[in-house]
Amino acid sequence: MKINWRVLRGFLGAVLIIVAAALLIGVEIAEAQRRPGPEPPVRSPAVAPKQPVRSAPVAQAETRPPQPVPAEAGPRETVQADVSSRSVSVTSSFTGTEIVVFGAVDHSRQTTAESGLYDVVIVLEGTPTRLVARRKSNVAGIWINTHSITFESVPSYYAILSTRPLDDITNPLVLRENDIGFEYVRMTPVQGWETGVTTAELQEFAEAVVRLKQKDGLYVQEEYGVVFIGRSLFRASVNLPANVPVGPLDVRVYLFRDGQIISTYTARVRLEREGLELLLHNFAFNQPLLYGIFTVTIAVGAGLVASAAFKRRQ
Amino acid sequence: MHKVAPGAGAFYAGAGFGSVMNLYLPIAEMSVNVFAFLGMGGAVGFLSGMFGVGGGFLMTPLLIFSGIPAAIAVGTEAAQILASSVSGAIAQWRRNNVDVKLGTVLLSGGIVGAAAGVEAVKLLRQIGQFDLFVSIAYVTFLGIIGVLMLIESAKAMRQARHGKVMSMRRPGQHNWVHKMPLRMRFHRSKLYISIIPPFAIGMLVGFLGAIMGVGGGFIMVPAMIYLLRVPTNVVVGTSLFQIVFVTGATTILHAAQNKSVDVTLALLLMIGGVVGAQLGAAAGQKLKGEQLRFLLAGLVLLVCVRIGWGLVTAPSDEYSISDAIGSH
Repeated sequence: MKINWRVLRGFLGAVLIIVAAALLIGVEIAEAQRRPGPEPPVRSPAVAPKQPVRSAPVAQAETRPPQPVPAEAGPRETVQADVSSRSVSVTSSFTGTEIVVFGAVDHSRQTTAESGLYDVVIVLEGTPTRLVARRKSNVAGIWINTHSITFESVPSYYAILSTRPLDDITNPLVLRENDIGFEYVRMTPVQGWETGVTTAELQEFAEAVVRLKQKDGLYVQEEYGVVFIGRSLFRASVNLPANVPVGPLDVRVYLFRDGQIISTYTARVRLEREGLELLLHNFAFNQPLLYGIFTVTIAVGAGLVASAAFKRRQ
Repeated sequence: MHKVAPGAGAFYAGAGFGSVMNLYLPIAEMSVNVFAFLGMGGAVGFLSGMFGVGGGFLMTPLLIFSGIPAAIAVGTEAAQILASSVSGAIAQWRRNNVDVKLGTVLLSGGIVGAAAGVEAVKLLRQIGQFDLFVSIAYVTFLGIIGVLMLIESAKAMRQARHGKVMSMRRPGQHNWVHKMPLRMRFHRSKLYISIIPPFAIGMLVGFLGAIMGVGGGFIMVPAMIYLLRVPTNVVVGTSLFQIVFVTGATTILHAAQNKSVDVTLALLLMIGGVVGAQLGAAAGQKLKGEQLRFLLAGLVLLVCVRIGWGLVTAPSDEYSISDAIGSH
């Protein structure tokens, strides 16, 4: 009996120590090795399948011979853009990341970066998710969730960056048409929301969702977040917080001139779990029963190790 | 329980500490400061070691206050209680303080109760009333236990001053518990009682434990002493023995049904808790039993008032959002 305990304790202790070490150290090492690694190929059209394949790299727009400035008859301006990293790995040490969106206006007619002939609006939108919004009211002195609306799909993340305030760039009609701005975020309530809720209340719920998402740092707006750094080059950076939901982020870039969209471009950032993070998450969701037993084993092991250490001390 | 937004930020990705100090939790899906949670485990471990309680009733509210979703706090806490109960149960086992037969009846009820509790958590989450239910359960049980303990320990302290020794158990006294059918003899406890009351008590404690993220010792121990008349020397050992099995089952059920057990978070709390409990146990030996119970009663009531306060004060925002559960 006694020997059995000792063997069991030793074994479980070893398991515990290995897991703890992997958790706290292993991932850090893996991270450190990954970080300085090569950036993913920046311009492979296959990654953003929605996009028309464009061959002209960004730099080319800069090297093009300067054109006569107010030439109205010249070729139409188009916008191209990309993101600094197309895939972001969410590991155990993930604390958020910075994404740089950069792009260029082809056939730019601006003389300088400060001309302000063009406006650029960049929208980063996370995967639509199902979400419940609830409202508390005071029932007999206690605050209780009394009303709720389920939204079929609400973007998990939403960032708008622009060269100027949106209202100065264009009119609400254009913004609404393209889902630009917090007021126009696409939120679909589930079928049958009408029961017991008025349209005005639905509006309040939708506003509350945006407000709460903003509070969590998941809906952000930067009115001067996009900056032209040349006649045609522009860039913007956005800090994804640690609580950003895992999944693809669609990046939409709009080029405005005189309040009208003259060109758009889209790209995509993939946020993916990696390493131990991915392993544990998949384990918990794909094999929940085994994962539960695994957790119990760790807990019992920790208890046995503590017990052994305590006994030695006495 | 209501999230305290301003203070909560400190536990997340602390900018000053650098990424090494932060850990991204796989289930809670948030980045937390390792030292904040190790410290939390240590502090609660210290108190639980000092008072000889599981500490779940302190840890679960603390986790919720620091921004961990209530369901994950409850599910993860079950694993931590398991870890801390194992070492306690082994110590009691070595001293032959465990009534295995009575413990088995209690834990059978406990597992049935835990299964019902885990199912209740799932249901309450779907209708958005889980946080409320947890808060009400905490206020109710901590309030009752805290007040009873305060009165009892105050009395004991007064009597100790007058040199009297109070016996917890009055042998020979029989109550309704002893008159029910399906009687069984429990040699270690020197009892011949119906198995219905212990099974029912186990069930209630298992149910509450699964919902509140506690081991339930604070209900189990008084119930064994006052209702079942179990001798005090086997009460703690038997209670710990059944807690090990019930929290083990609760952890597995929470993981399987609600996917709300975060192993990384549990490990952080376990490490902090184990170290804290050793220090706390040493500190506790310097205090008298009734003084300890008086202090513990104060602590229990403090947590009760804090949670109750959150229920009756107007929330900073009447609205809240959460992921839709169950109907994907």
